[in-house]
This record gives sequence, structure tokens and C-alpha cells, in this order.
Amino acid sequence: MSETISSFLTKDHRDCDEEFAVLENTVASENWTEVEKVFGKFTSDLQHHFDMEEKVMFPTFEERTGMSGGPTQMMRMEHQQMLQILSQMKDDVASKNKDHFFGLSETLMMLMQQHNMKEEQMLYRMADNHLGEDSGLVVTQMKDLERV
Amino acid sequence: MFNEGLSLDQAPPISVPFRFFLTAPVFAIIIGALILTNDATLILNRYSDISIAIVHLFTLGILSMIIVGAMQQMMPVLAGAVIKKPILFANIVHTTLTLGTILFALYFIFHLKVLLMIATVLLAISFITFFIVAIRLLFKVKFLNSTVIAMRIFVIVGLITILLGLHLAGSHIADNIGENHYSIVSIHILFGMFGFASLIIMGVAFQVIPMFYVAKSFPKFIENKIPFIIVFLLAAYTMFEIASFDLTVIKVFFVFSIAGFAYFGIHSLNNRKRPIFDVTLLYWKLSLYMLIVALLIWLFAKDDVTYLLSILFGLGFLYSLLQGMIYKIIPFLCWFHLTSKGYFTVPTMRELIVEDMIRIQFYIYISSLLFFILAFFLSSIFLYIGAALFIFSNLFFLLNLILAVKKYTKIAESDPMDMSSFQMSS
Repeated sequence: MSETISSFLTKDHRDCDEEFAVLENTVASENWTEVEKVFGKFTSDLQHHFDMEEKVMFPTFEERTGMSGGPTQMMRMEHQQMLQILSQMKDDVASKNKDHFFGLSETLMMLMQQHNMKEEQMLYRMADNHLGEDSGLVVTQMKDLERV
Repeated sequence: MFNEGLSLDQAPPISVPFRFFLTAPVFAIIIGALILTNDATLILNRYSDISIAIVHLFTLGILSMIIVGAMQQMMPVLAGAVIKKPILFANIVHTTLTLGTILFALYFIFHLKVLLMIATVLLAISFITFFIVAIRLLFKVKFLNSTVIAMRIFVIVGLITILLGLHLAGSHIADNIGENHYSIVSIHILFGMFGFASLIIMGVAFQVIPMFYVAKSFPKFIENKIPFIIVFLLAAYTMFEIASFDLTVIKVFFVFSIAGFAYFGIHSLNNRKRPIFDVTLLYWKLSLYMLIVALLIWLFAKDDVTYLLSILFGLGFLYSLLQGMIYKIIPFLCWFHLTSKGYFTVPTMRELIVEDMIRIQFYIYISSLLFFILAFFLSSIFLYIGAALFIFSNLFFLLNLILAVKKYTKIAESDPMDMSSFQMSS
């Protein structure tokens, strides 16, 4: 059986979580040159995950279900919210403000996990249900999406 | 219908969970005050009226209060189940639960039957409203996972616990203490502790531990089978108790299943990928270790250890964990609601409740537990020291929460537009 949207994107959530843990650990060690690198990697992974959803999966889902103002719109807004915290975290990295960074990373963690629960428990499963056979195709398209 | 649970207004207003969370420590302070002002021999005796009052101030005023409040927040997120009129629902459930609990405790102090009658009616309204709505919502959920399944079992077992409690209250009112009254008491306690309380905590832990600490998931067997095994054991216990059979085998199975959950929880937390020290971990770990100790004592003790078990299981396992969860939920919700309203300069979670304040409160709390435990083995004088520390730790807990809420309201009363001029590039 081919990979489903659910299994593929859920796995990508876990990968992002791990990258996030690496980032926090690096900040805790206060090795700021390394932090910059790890921060870049996490930002790019997260952005890539959002792109796979917003450029491939969501449009297909909206087209098939006719639901364009519903769940996918909500998820897009939450992506924006996360990117906003991330940009504040970037300022903390630049100013080496460890304490403030952890205040934000805690918040980002809560937000990410709440968001992931909604996607994993509802949206992805809805998408697999609606797309049926084609969900494998959507996964392939997401894999082919180039990183920005 | 598909976007149910994924709409913007799915989260209830912040006042909904907060009223429940802020009420719980007040009941804890009342409990401390009752212990301080009563004879130690009465407190250590499970059948004394004051003990029954205190136990219910805990199970209704703290445990149910927090669980019912948290469920209203969690059902939409975890299960996509939205309560239609959240404020009305919270008003009904919170008011009746609070008043019902107070009157219930007062009955055991003043022995006025009318108090128990009113309390029973109020508590019945509260719990039946809550459980009926929760059952309807949770059984409509389309996509299942281990948390939703554990929640479904929790609402059913919870409803049974309440019905048994109402039956017991009814027989007190009618002065009709039948011969199986104490069997029903045992079943009521077991359903409450292992069913109602433990199941919801398991359900939440299955999600929260792997996600928030980037830790390994529980083994599939624990996630998928243990909740059902607990239901089976509760049913078996009920039959054995009524038939007066020996309960040892059932107890062994209970201990294995629940300690198995605790073991894997600790294991997962110790091997988490996010080793950044998070002060709420202290509460999680204390809680799970206390659970294991409580289970072993329950299984092996020959004498009456009810007092000790109440401390270890009630305060050690349950209340520790609930405090740890509230410390995460309250700052997050403050942040979340402010950000959603468009405020730009919102304090971070760690600025809303300062970690060191949580840490101090934790150590005061754990020392109150220590003195409560010493009171069982050594001298009852420790009971009063424990009670004083317990009051102090709960005042501190309440203070930490109120400070966060004050920071929230201060910002929420300002005009979000004032700050939106700080446009940030994203």
C-alpha cells in the first residue's frame, strides 16, 4: 500500500519536532554560532512543511471537497501565527536572549502541538478519505516540491 | 459538518476553563483549614464524618472541578467536539458543582439533612449536564484515536460513579443504609479513582507526553488495551465485591495495568528528546512515582491504610499532575486568546507565570505531602504541619494563577490597535 497523506505528513511533523528539540538544546548550550545554523535548518524544515500543505495538499483538498473557507483556511492562519513567533525567536537569537527565547519556544511548542493534533486527527484523515486512490499522488507531488 | 472543530471559534472563551481552575485551589485551602481545626484521630479515620467531607471536597471541589474545566477546553482540540453554548454550559456546571460541593461538605459537619438534599440535587444537575453533553459529543467524533477512546470510557465510567454516588446520598437521606451499602461505597470509590480519574489522565498522557516533551509514544498495548482492561476489571471487581469473593486477583491485575502505564510514562519522560528542563516535569514525575507507590501499598498493606492511600493517590498522583497541567494550560491560553484578538505585544508563557515561582510552589507542595505521610507513621503533630504547608502551597498556587490572569486582563482591556502599529516583517 502506498503512503497516505496522513502517514507522510504526520511523520514530517515528528521530524520537525525533533529538529525543534535540537534547536532548543543548542540554545541551552549557548553555542550561538551553532544556533544560527540549527535555527536556519528548523525554519527551512517548517517552511517546507507549510509549503507542502499550502501549495499542494490544501488546494487539492479544497478543489475536491469544495470547502475553501473552512479547515484549510484555519490551518493557514495558524501557520502564520507560528511564523510570527518564529520571527520573534530569530530576534532573540540575534540578540542572544536565551530567557526570552525559551518563553517563546514554549509557546511555539504548545501552538505547534495543538495545531498538529487538529491536522493529524481530523484534516489529514478527512483528506485521505476524500481523495481516496489519489492521496498517494498528492504525497508524490508533495515530495517533489522543491525547497525554497 | 467536517469543519466542526476546525473553525475559529472552536475554543471556548477563556473564562470557561479559568473559572474551574481558579476554584480548585480555594477548595484545597478549605481542606487544609478543616484538617487544621479538627482532631487528628478523626482525620486519620476514614469513616469519620469530617474525613468523608474532606474526601469529597477533594474529589468534587478539586478533582472533578479541574477535569470538567479542562475537558471543555480539550474536547474541541483533541476530539473536534464543540460545545454549542459554552458560557451557559460552564455557568450551569460550575455553579452547581461549587455550591453542591460546599453544601455536601457542610452536611457532614452540621448534619442537617436538608443540606444533603440540596447538595444531591445540585451535584446531580452538574454532573448529568456535563456527562450527557460530553457523551453526545464524544460519540459523534468521526476519527478515533487512543485519547478519544479513553475519553469515551471516562465519560461512561464517570457517569456510573456519579449515579452510584447519588444512590449512596439517597440512602443517607432516606436513612436506609442497606446491607450492601459498604460494597457500593467500595465500588463507588474504585470507579472514581481507577475509572473516572485515572482514565482521563491516561487519555491525556497518551497525547501530551509524546507531543509536548518530544518523547516516545506509549506502547500500543498500553494505549489501546489498558483502558478496556480497566473497564473489564471494574466490572469484575463489582461482581466479586457483591458476591463477597476474594479480591486479591483483581487487585493484582489493577496494579499491573495502572503501574504499567506509570512505568512507561516515566520511561518516556526520562528518554524525551526535549531535555530542556521544564518545571512542569517535576509535577509529572512526582505524580507517576506516587502512583506506583500508592498501588504497591494498596496491594500489599494488611492494615487500614486508607489515609495514606488518600495522600499518595489523591494528592501525590492526581493533584500533582493536575497542577502541572494547569501551569501549562493557563499561560498558553492567555497567550493564545490575546494573540487571536490581534494584540501584538503579548508576554511569553514564561513571563505570564515565572518558572521560579512554580518551582517554589512545587517544593512547598511536596513538603506538605511529606508531612502528611509522616503523620501516618510517626506523630499526628505532623498532620498539622502538613496542613499548614498545604494551605500555604495552595495560596501560592492560586497567587501564581491570579498573577497570570491579571496580566491577561490588563492587556485585554487595552486597545489592540494601539500596538498594531509595530508591524513585523514575516
